[in-house]
Amino acid sequence: MKYGAHILLMGAIILIGCRKDPSLPMDAVDLPFALRLPPGAPMPMIPEENPLTVASVALGKALFFDPRLSRDASISCGSCHHPDRAFSDTVALSLGVEGRIGFRNAPTLANVAYHPYFFREGGIPSLEFQVNAPISDPLEMDHNLRDAATAVANDAEYQRWSQLAYGRPLDAFVLTRSIASYQRTLISGWSRYDRYLYQGEDDVLTEQEVRGLELFNSPALNCTACHSGFDLTDYSFQNIGQYLDYADPGRARLTSDPADMGKYKVPTLRNIALTAPYMHDGAMANLDEVIDHFANGGLAHPNKSPFLTSFALDPSQKGDLLAFLNSLTDERNLDQVP
Amino acid sequence: MSLRSRFFLIALSTVLLWGCGPDEEVAPVEPPPPTTGTLRLVIVPQWQGGPFAINEVYNNVSNYRVRFQGIKFYLGDIRMLTGTTSTTVKDIVYFDLHNGSAAAQWAVEPGTWSGMRMGLGVPQVLNDADPIVYPPMHPLDLANGTYWNWANAYRFLQFDGYYDLDGSGTEPFTTGFSIHTGLNACYREFDLDLGSEVSISTGQTTTITLNLAVDRMFYSATDTLDLATENESHGGNLPLALKLTDNTVGSLSVQ
Repeated sequence: MKYGAHILLMGAIILIGCRKDPSLPMDAVDLPFALRLPPGAPMPMIPEENPLTVASVALGKALFFDPRLSRDASISCGSCHHPDRAFSDTVALSLGVEGRIGFRNAPTLANVAYHPYFFREGGIPSLEFQVNAPISDPLEMDHNLRDAATAVANDAEYQRWSQLAYGRPLDAFVLTRSIASYQRTLISGWSRYDRYLYQGEDDVLTEQEVRGLELFNSPALNCTACHSGFDLTDYSFQNIGQYLDYADPGRARLTSDPADMGKYKVPTLRNIALTAPYMHDGAMANLDEVIDHFANGGLAHPNKSPFLTSFALDPSQKGDLLAFLNSLTDERNLDQVP
Repeated sequence: MSLRSRFFLIALSTVLLWGCGPDEEVAPVEPPPPTTGTLRLVIVPQWQGGPFAINEVYNNVSNYRVRFQGIKFYLGDIRMLTGTTSTTVKDIVYFDLHNGSAAAQWAVEPGTWSGMRMGLGVPQVLNDADPIVYPPMHPLDLANGTYWNWANAYRFLQFDGYYDLDGSGTEPFTTGFSIHTGLNACYREFDLDLGSEVSISTGQTTTITLNLAVDRMFYSATDTLDLATENESHGGNLPLALKLTDNTVGSLSVQ
């Protein structure tokens, strides 16, 4: 028995000495991340090769707010995607390193887990691929993935998470996967509208908001032709007649098809009251302007969506619609990570 | 602790630590003789058959003064041809003509060939992959700055510089052109006749030189690229990108 104790002690000492990463405790394991879904929310598609885990999401969140990912360590993803603005920005065009002015309005990241493609023209097929774009864009973080990963590689906690989640040191692979994982947790569906629609709380919306909802759903306004489903978008590409001549080609940038000129991915309306200014270029400062634009039916661009037709709203009805749009704001923090 | 216990512990430690020790030295083994040869592909930019250099001023086919800042491109899926036989020898190479000629070389199986087939651009299977899979120094490494992050795709050809519509004008140039091709629609496969048979032998380096007639990149037998109106493409001007692609393919010839 005495020998048995000696053997165990020696074995333990030697095995600890032979482990790959001595910083990890012996019992260190990663656990699946328990994604909280609101009632009515479908399960988002989580790639098998990048499952949500406690460590991957924690690392992704830390990196999301880490300015060292930008070339001069001045801005992070969170600099243009503010949590208190449903992860959107407050300015029309965000500022990148050295104050460089961005190309388009920073969209909300709420519910990006449901998006089938990314960017306004839809050229990026996954969140993992998307992470590269802002980091390498000269107008945004102006770095490259490998250097960005190197810039944070001396962080012991990051390395510990990286080993736990991915079994490898923090590199470009881990960077893209972990930030994508964190973004997938930004589920939005805890608004009063959701409580009314999915939880049967009939009195949670005011009478004015209910009237606004009825207007929103009405054939006359036709909002739901595109803003439908749980995320209040069908992710289609539409030209809303914002301009007669678009400086930004929109989807045509990707397809070179003139029929796609001025078409952009339909955005979610969730948290719309928090995400001003609006449109791909942030040209509309508030929801009043947005409603007026749609009520006027948009400009007569040849690609203008057939779903857009002018409609009349009296001031009272406009107030109802605005009230409804305000009811789409989440009552809970989108960030599920402690 | 008894003497027997101590002895046992020492013996056990020795056995276990032995297991962790370095491998015994192994006598060096002669490397096996090479079974492949080396193909060296050189791109030589030229202007009207003479030397070409970045930042020099030339008059193009429209008699516009042009001064180049950069010409960079990919050649993909390079195959050697003889008769009806086609052998793939390289998936992708990248040429940056900033310093004039540029070269790439790699190991290939020995053989005798009469032609080459390749694509201007990045083959779709490589273009659609996650760019982080490409290691440092790889032609598709993100550090080359050739990736269109908004499109999940590589720029196949970058053609940048300044122009002046006045062919007899003087410095400075104030207007730039920047025509970048990319997206899978711009991948263009073409054949080159090597003129005579080229042999690649085991352990030997064989050089094939391709001339790039930069002046010809502005025109083809049927069309001219007019910088006055065709001076910018970054994915959204496919007709111009395709025109430059076709002109460039027509500009490449075996030396």
